[in-house]
Amino acid sequence: MRRIAKRTRRTFTRFWQGLREWCGDAAYEKYLQRARREGSGPPLTATEFYLEQMNRKYSRPNRCC
Amino acid sequence: MKRVLQILLWSAVSLVAAAALATIAFHRGEPINATWFVLAAGCSYLVAYRLYSSFIAAKLLALDNSRATPSERREDGRDFVPTNKWVLFGHHFAAIAGPGPLVGPTLAAQFGYLPGTLWLIAGAAFAGCVQDFLILFCSIRRDGKTLGEMARQEVSKLGGVMAQVAVLAIMIILLGVVALVIVNALKSSPWATFTLAMTIPIALLLGVYLRFLRPGRVMEASAIGVALVMFAVVAGRWVAESPVLAGKFTFGGVTLAFALIAYGFAASALPVWLLLAPRDYLSAFIKAGAIFSLAAGILLVRPQVLMPPLTRFVDGTGPVFAGKIFPFCFITIACGAISGFHSLISSGTTPRMIQREGHARFIGYGAMLMESFVGVMAMVAACAMTPGVYFAINSPSSIVGSTPEAAAQTISSWGYPVSTETMTHLAHAVGEQTLLNRAGGAPSLAVGMAQIFSNTIGGDRLLSIWYHFAIMFEALFILTVLDAGTRVGRFMVQELLGRVSKPLGRMNWYPAILFSSALIVGAWGYFLYQGVVDPLGGINSLWPLFGIANQLLAAVALVVATTILLKMGRVKWIWVTLLPTAWLVTITMTASWQKIFSPNPRIGFLSYANAMTAQIAAGKIPAAKVAEMQRVIFNQRLDAAVTAVLGGMILLLLIEAVIQWHAILSRGREPILHETPYVATQWAEGD
Repeated sequence: MRRIAKRTRRTFTRFWQGLREWCGDAAYEKYLQRARREGSGPPLTATEFYLEQMNRKYSRPNRCC
Repeated sequence: MKRVLQILLWSAVSLVAAAALATIAFHRGEPINATWFVLAAGCSYLVAYRLYSSFIAAKLLALDNSRATPSERREDGRDFVPTNKWVLFGHHFAAIAGPGPLVGPTLAAQFGYLPGTLWLIAGAAFAGCVQDFLILFCSIRRDGKTLGEMARQEVSKLGGVMAQVAVLAIMIILLGVVALVIVNALKSSPWATFTLAMTIPIALLLGVYLRFLRPGRVMEASAIGVALVMFAVVAGRWVAESPVLAGKFTFGGVTLAFALIAYGFAASALPVWLLLAPRDYLSAFIKAGAIFSLAAGILLVRPQVLMPPLTRFVDGTGPVFAGKIFPFCFITIACGAISGFHSLISSGTTPRMIQREGHARFIGYGAMLMESFVGVMAMVAACAMTPGVYFAINSPSSIVGSTPEAAAQTISSWGYPVSTETMTHLAHAVGEQTLLNRAGGAPSLAVGMAQIFSNTIGGDRLLSIWYHFAIMFEALFILTVLDAGTRVGRFMVQELLGRVSKPLGRMNWYPAILFSSALIVGAWGYFLYQGVVDPLGGINSLWPLFGIANQLLAAVALVVATTILLKMGRVKWIWVTLLPTAWLVTITMTASWQKIFSPNPRIGFLSYANAMTAQIAAGKIPAAKVAEMQRVIFNQRLDAAVTAVLGGMILLLLIEAVIQWHAILSRGREPILHETPYVATQWAEGD
């Protein structure tokens, strides 16, 4: 019973994390993780990162007919 | 033992697919159940994915999981970000899934359910998925180069230019046509107009929230937005029932057209975080929810499909659009079977995020299969309506008559009984003033979806809510394409103009932004306006034009893929791309020829223009209408010219490519392949 509960919780967590990645919530966190790992100067702020993502995403075809 | 079990399992799946397809194809008489469609499509897709895509991956492409993808080699946390294959599948599917698979099959239902369904299944498996998969692979090996860039590098400079111009032209036609679909859904409908109008301030609110209050918190902003939009759908009923407010939100086609043009201009020129991006987030969640609900609804309700497998309109006299099954059924259903536009998505962001080459099979081939499934469901929803009702909604008034009584009589005389009372009652039940003369697929699909949803939850009381939810969801879908497409079109125009005059190419310079936005919006706005004032209803002429243009682009993509594969030495299996290319070229060229030169004025642009010129010359047109008619004549000739130019460009590209192929195959010239060099991946195997 406990194992089922644990498995359900793990599945839900994975699903939630996937959803956050899909819609872009997790993008800044991933960027920060990488920036800290590489240590290449001060990272962008959340707002700067968000604006840059927006501009990049909508400069190329990203929504189909 | 495991292998034997696998063979048994897949043989069983194949048999189910074959049995379901045979039932759909040969059943006559009693209405068939939607379950057969779900089985036929689902099992066919499984077999195609398991056998055909793995064959392509192994033999034709030789996908190499040991090879570092651009997301590894050029990882920067911003543009090149390695992404889990399920999440990336979600991204890619959300990007390729648009209004196309909903509108195309609904329009093609005029031939009956059979031709469209077969084309959706076979076309996706052998053409559409192959295109998406191959272009994704080619772009992965070129650090995410776009289709135009690959065409220039691998085919020829001229080929690249042709591809770029074709993409721009197709985008303009696409935007005009989808805008027309919305106009036909919203005209004389205060509820729908109110709901869609409300999405603009909601999007602005979300934009400010995400920019200043909680940057990057997309899920919470979307949750707020979705709740507000749902409220707007419900509130629309109060607006429709209030005489004062209803009057304020009831607009004709021309006013709506100008409103959409203004909207497109604003979305392209304003900062992207303010309007475009938040609307996109909003529609992504609603899109996912609506598709899932439609699938669940069909599986739960298992409606009877009332449309016959083949209707009398296979003879080419259809009211929704003229033309016989070949080539027009294949042109009308583009997205869902094969869509050139997908190759732009497959060579856009996805190749920069993919972790391993092996994932390209799941994402490239698989996502398109899912979109094709959405198309099959749309076909089911459209065909679950009484055929008389379907034709009443989708036939232009110039063909069936402008009064409800005339329409009911004409359609009943075709063998699809429908009464004025039925249409009036249905319109009232869904909260519209009228459902007649709403060609474009959106309202009839909404009726179909509403009938399915209300059989699941709520019953007839909620029919109007479900209908307007479906309209809102399709319109949101389309508005997202409209604003994102206008913005991307603006970039393309600025890039081209920048070669002529440098200041115009500056993406952040406001005069240049405004000028190129005006150009793009003016171009698609012209097609939109043309469609709105067209006596034949607009969708009649413009949707086939869109389908031809889209599939010409698909032919370009397949030609580029063929060239690359030949250069890689994959000659033995090249029929995998050559067969769909040959098919596409055949249907698009046949359709283009017929649209330009057919002596039937309902099909041929030129003969329609000539027929109207003759009418003016014979004095049959009242003086007040002559100017309007002459504009229509001009538009028909313009459409013919656009079709001819597009077809000509693609033929040029094809000739360039064939010259290349001959050179490669006769080993006269050493093929120069522009792949990025092999770098072994540092990541552990197996995920």
